[in-house]
Amino acid sequence: MKGKKLKNSHLDSLFDGFLKEEGSIILGFKRDGNAIGHHIFKGSAKDYSLINPFFSANGAIYFRRLFSKGAKLLFILRPCEIRAYVELTKLTQIEREGIVAISVDCPGTESEKEKTDRASLPEDIRDYFKGDNKKRWACINCREKRGVVGDAGIRLDRDYNMWIIPYTEKGERLIETLEGELTDIPIDMAISPDRQTDSFKTDMDALRSDLKRCVLCMNCRDMCPVCYCVDCVFNGDEYLPRGDALLNKVLRTGSTDMPQGKELFHLIRMYHVSQTCVGCGACEEACPQDIPLTKYFKGISERLQGIFSYMSGRGFDEAIPYTTFIEDELKDAED
Amino acid sequence: MAEGNKETPEIIGFACSFCSFKASEMAGSLRMKYPEGVKLIEVPCSSRVDPAFIIKALMEGADGVFVAGCHPGDCHFIKGNYYTRRKIAALKEMFRAFSIDEKLRLFWVSASEARRFVDKVTDMYNNIKETKR
Ligand code: SF4
Ligand code: SF4
Ligand code: SF4
Repeated sequence: MKGKKLKNSHLDSLFDGFLKEEGSIILGFKRDGNAIGHHIFKGSAKDYSLINPFFSANGAIYFRRLFSKGAKLLFILRPCEIRAYVELTKLTQIEREGIVAISVDCPGTESEKEKTDRASLPEDIRDYFKGDNKKRWACINCREKRGVVGDAGIRLDRDYNMWIIPYTEKGERLIETLEGELTDIPIDMAISPDRQTDSFKTDMDALRSDLKRCVLCMNCRDMCPVCYCVDCVFNGDEYLPRGDALLNKVLRTGSTDMPQGKELFHLIRMYHVSQTCVGCGACEEACPQDIPLTKYFKGISERLQGIFSYMSGRGFDEAIPYTTFIEDELKDAED
Repeated sequence: MAEGNKETPEIIGFACSFCSFKASEMAGSLRMKYPEGVKLIEVPCSSRVDPAFIIKALMEGADGVFVAGCHPGDCHFIKGNYYTRRKIAALKEMFRAFSIDEKLRLFWVSASEARRFVDKVTDMYNNIKETKR
């Protein structure tokens, strides 16, 4: 595989050059003293940061329902965010035409909720790679920390040299504007592919006990980048009744703990996102009750993607398994 | 999940109106019996069954759910049941992860297979009755 070796100054000119064109913007991270977070850059990419060691939300959610053709956008985000973007393009929730998506090697992130002392944010990202930090469960068990998804990737080799690698024609066109020649990238990179984890196994008692404190606020759904239905089944009275509908249901059935329907809500959501979930943990991050959602959503989605040898966000051209089929398959599905 | 204290299992079956549902009607007219606890819901195609329906049925107290459609290749809408197969195979995998996979079955039953329909649902019923003890 070929890429270009980068200096920070190269990136500055690449990003500023991109922003010079009328109507172009960049979605990435901005560092402001010790604070760091998602930022939309227009005009200048001053104070951008390739890496954000604190996770609050999956950035793909900000441009969901972007339908305008030709808008010039550059995404410089974590692999899980670019993967969610890729899934959203397949779900026709983002018009891909004018967007170039760059994934950056991710050393893993800490939860924003942990209220980490921001003063400890290292001056140099290298220290973060080495640093002893409290990474989120989602990151420790991340399936793809490498910047190998999207139109291009920014990766670090063992000696912490930065590389930019094109994966699509769009990526190639962007990288052409950089000085230097494409050369073979080193085989040894700072972040290597992850080993496969065991297939997730649990039972209903464990789920029920983990959901004990769930208040059904649905923040987890609302912050999930790939849970996009405008007409969500949980918005009406059919699945999670309230008011008159709840009264009628209770009179028909009997006593019930409240809120009612926690397992129903989470299992249905789990199935609905099973092929598109990227395991980012944004759901858990959004949960006010600290429910360990990621282990279920990530665990189930990896198992269900496995049946079809699918991986969410890996490629633009791989169809989401439920939207296609092979005639001669799944012979043992029938009972 | 609602506690199922009923002695007899309750099974919800989603049956395609072009095949399995026809087979159930034929079973009726031939006076073949299948357990009373099996409640059928007619759907225009097995692929109309959103797995959310199945999860809802189970979480609201059903002891088992089956989806019955035309044999692969015989779908009235040409390819609906191929999607059904993918969706239900995945749902079964999810149920396996939660150790509740015995609660879901997928049957292929054509309109003329009344006997096959009765055998399949009776077997499922008896199986679930056994585990309910
Ligand atoms: S965010 Fe937490 S409390 Fe709210 S519905 Fe989701 S799991 Fe339940
Ligand atoms: S829970 Fe299901 S129906 Fe609701 S938004 Fe998510 S995917 Fe759509
Ligand atoms: S379900 Fe949770 S882990 Fe999966 S994509 Fe949505 S927010 Fe991320």
